[in-house]
Amino acid sequence: MQWEKILIAVENFDATKRALKYVGIMIGGQKEIQITLLHVYPEPPPNFYQTGGVLQEYKKKKEENALQLLKDARSKLSRNGVMPEQIVFRNCMAEGKTISETILEILREGEYGTVVVGKRGVSRAEEFLFGSISNTLVHSSGDFTVWVVG
Amino acid sequence: MNEITVQDLPAEIAERLQEHPAGRNKRVHTKIFTDTSDFTAIDYGDIIFVDDRYFLVVAFTKEGRFGIDEQPKPWVPKVMDLASGIKYIIKLVFHETYEVSIGGLTVNCFRNPEKEARVLELVQDHPHFMHGKNVEDEAGNLVRILDIIDGNRLDKFVYRKNERHRDYFEIDFPEILKKFLTSVKAISLLHENGLNHGDIRRDHIFVDRADGLFRWIDFDYDFYIPERPFALDLFGLGSVLLFLMGRKTFRPPDVLKHPDMGEKVLATLGEDDLALLSKDRIFNLGKLFPYIPVDLNNILLHFAVGTPVFYDSVNEFYDDLARAAEAL
Repeated sequence: MQWEKILIAVENFDATKRALKYVGIMIGGQKEIQITLLHVYPEPPPNFYQTGGVLQEYKKKKEENALQLLKDARSKLSRNGVMPEQIVFRNCMAEGKTISETILEILREGEYGTVVVGKRGVSRAEEFLFGSISNTLVHSSGDFTVWVVG
Repeated sequence: MNEITVQDLPAEIAERLQEHPAGRNKRVHTKIFTDTSDFTAIDYGDIIFVDDRYFLVVAFTKEGRFGIDEQPKPWVPKVMDLASGIKYIIKLVFHETYEVSIGGLTVNCFRNPEKEARVLELVQDHPHFMHGKNVEDEAGNLVRILDIIDGNRLDKFVYRKNERHRDYFEIDFPEILKKFLTSVKAISLLHENGLNHGDIRRDHIFVDRADGLFRWIDFDYDFYIPERPFALDLFGLGSVLLFLMGRKTFRPPDVLKHPDMGEKVLATLGEDDLALLSKDRIFNLGKLFPYIPVDLNNILLHFAVGTPVFYDSVNEFYDDLARAAEAL
């Protein structure tokens, strides 16, 4: 694990904004830190193809949205002293996996030492039904560090 | 292909048609469908020609949701193969999208005939599922030809056990639980293959009259929960287990009308004892039936409001249930 490599899971939630602010405050000015801003989006719903949907178009639209999300995230980090050259973008679809499984796969492949995620504060029922990426990451941690920012 | 009429039927098929009440009825003008795109045009006495077979429509299945008047499903005719005389259920393509509210949470649901076809392919030799064949009509529409299971719905099978709950639980339930375990294992096979059941309910298990095996039916519902794709199946399994353990008593009104329970027992229940996703069901059955073993009751509590931990997979649920069954 490379402790200077940080993976930040970026979503379009207020929790992500808080996480970015926290990371910026904690590591701003530390030039040896490398940050990957990652946005993972789900596969289209089952009726997508039934209604004539084309996967390439779906991906294109999702990746355009992701790019905007990631640029906004970079701006937030920059405000706290993180240099743009410390930051790289990555976005992808969770293919045949959940979003958290995809994040974990990227985390391990890239040997990131730390993953950062915002905590949305969902109810128990929501967590059971829709899942919680932050809880899944915490439960899967062992050889990496998880920062869950509430 | 040119339109086929009754006059074009092979002689033995025309003869079989005449032998059936639908063929003899002068008010029925049999049409032959090679394209099922407009399934609403298909009526009693019509013939669906797919897989090189002539299927006579003899009835339509009905939507069996609890508490709702049964509605005929025109995309699911009951048919008879005019060559063999064997009856089947045919499912035609009907794409439907809707939202369901579960405990105030909205989930996007779909009819997904293609998913059902994939399940049928996967389980074609599996004893704990209904079986069927996927074919295409002349227009390329998917048509599922399903074998009819000779048996009873699980809920009716259980309701027929009329003894006191304690007798039911001690005499009948252990055997029922063993069979249910095979049903749970069967669902984990789907999940391992990236498929879900989609509509796990107590009336979607049939008890085969011949061998008593529990067999899952109806796999065409699907839902979109990307981060927890099997959560609803899991909750469905928990709800079926609740039914099997509680039989007729697992909702607050059931407690009120139960001669040995009533207000006194109802007053012992708190919110934590109710279902995580639908608070009209009591998952802490141990408070109603103290002779339910703690380990078994604890499995139900994983689906209650007060649970500190969820099941993440059907295998986890299965393992706990198998251990509890062993101890009964």
